[in-house]
Amino acid sequence: MLTPGPAKKVGVYVAEDQQFHGTAAYAAILDFLFFHGVSGATVTRGIAGFGADHHLHTTRLVDLAVRLPVKVEFIETEAKVEELLPKLQEMVGTGLIEVQDTTIVKPAEKNRKRAASARPALKQEGKAKMMRIYIGENDKWNGKPLHESIVHGLRAHDIAGVTVYRGILGYGANRRIHKDAALSLSHDRPILLSIVDTEEKLRAFIPVLDQMVQQGLVVLSDVDVIKYTHNYEQADRREMQT
Amino acid sequence: MKLEGKAKMLRIHFGEDDKWQNKPLYEAIVIKCRELDIAGATVFRGIEGYGASTLIHKRHLLRSADRPIMISVIDTEEKIRNLIPALDEMVDEGLIAMSEVEVIRYVHQNGVRSEV
Repeated sequence: MLTPGPAKKVGVYVAEDQQFHGTAAYAAILDFLFFHGVSGATVTRGIAGFGADHHLHTTRLVDLAVRLPVKVEFIETEAKVEELLPKLQEMVGTGLIEVQDTTIVKPAEKNRKRAASARPALKQEGKAKMMRIYIGENDKWNGKPLHESIVHGLRAHDIAGVTVYRGILGYGANRRIHKDAALSLSHDRPILLSIVDTEEKLRAFIPVLDQMVQQGLVVLSDVDVIKYTHNYEQADRREMQT
Repeated sequence: MKLEGKAKMLRIHFGEDDKWQNKPLYEAIVIKCRELDIAGATVFRGIEGYGASTLIHKRHLLRSADRPIMISVIDTEEKIRNLIPALDEMVDEGLIAMSEVEVIRYVHQNGVRSEV
């Protein structure tokens, strides 16, 4: 958050069609600033200009119109600017970077209404276990797809969360290759369920799995949980909707 | 086949367009795993990602996709170590990571049709 007082204003000049790792350089720079917590940045496109190569780029000539100058401008504290500059220099390529002193008279404010309702996200860190269950897409349990039944079972056991992935190719215990063949009617593709929760809760679920999984692989591994959640009020509301 | 207790999980990340002897690399790796009698291998296709080349791999209407592929292999440490030299040869540009897992259950029913 910026405060009134001295600060630095940074201007980065690139060409509109300049690339950085496969994306437009100005977009890459804007993303970089956004994800490094810069308080704000503006991209402006010039209508004409020339740079180090002394070629005039202007909208008047159709064939040169793609190389119009683009300026990314942002204002930050001196410390923050120092931190960002090395990477910016790499990203700007043949372009130019300028830094000038400026004074903030009044910093921009967040939308008050939103700021009041959005409490900081909760961050939880700690040790947990990840369980991975490998089964086939055609496996059934009580007439329903096994992976769906497991997801329902996990929910009933109050397990934190599960994600189901569908593989494109694989083989398992019975040495049969499961493949997504475009023309075959059976799509017995591999399914992976990935679950993260405390060891205690996962171990409690294993007897249930033993009943449900007739063929497959279940493995446990250690994970470090770094979790961001919404504030509880919102989480409760979501719970009520489902 | 018996597999229980401590085991290793290998994850191999690379691109969908990668080839090995004119075959998709992921198919070649699964076949190699079977040759080496590895307990199982599963191939997943990601929808977006970037890797060593920092080019974003994403589905694109006009360009070829080259989406990220991840193969997950679980077996005893010995078997996995056996597989690594073969992978070194096959995977040019990609990431191979190994981690520890505990096998809870590994079963197959006898009498299940075996076909390819």
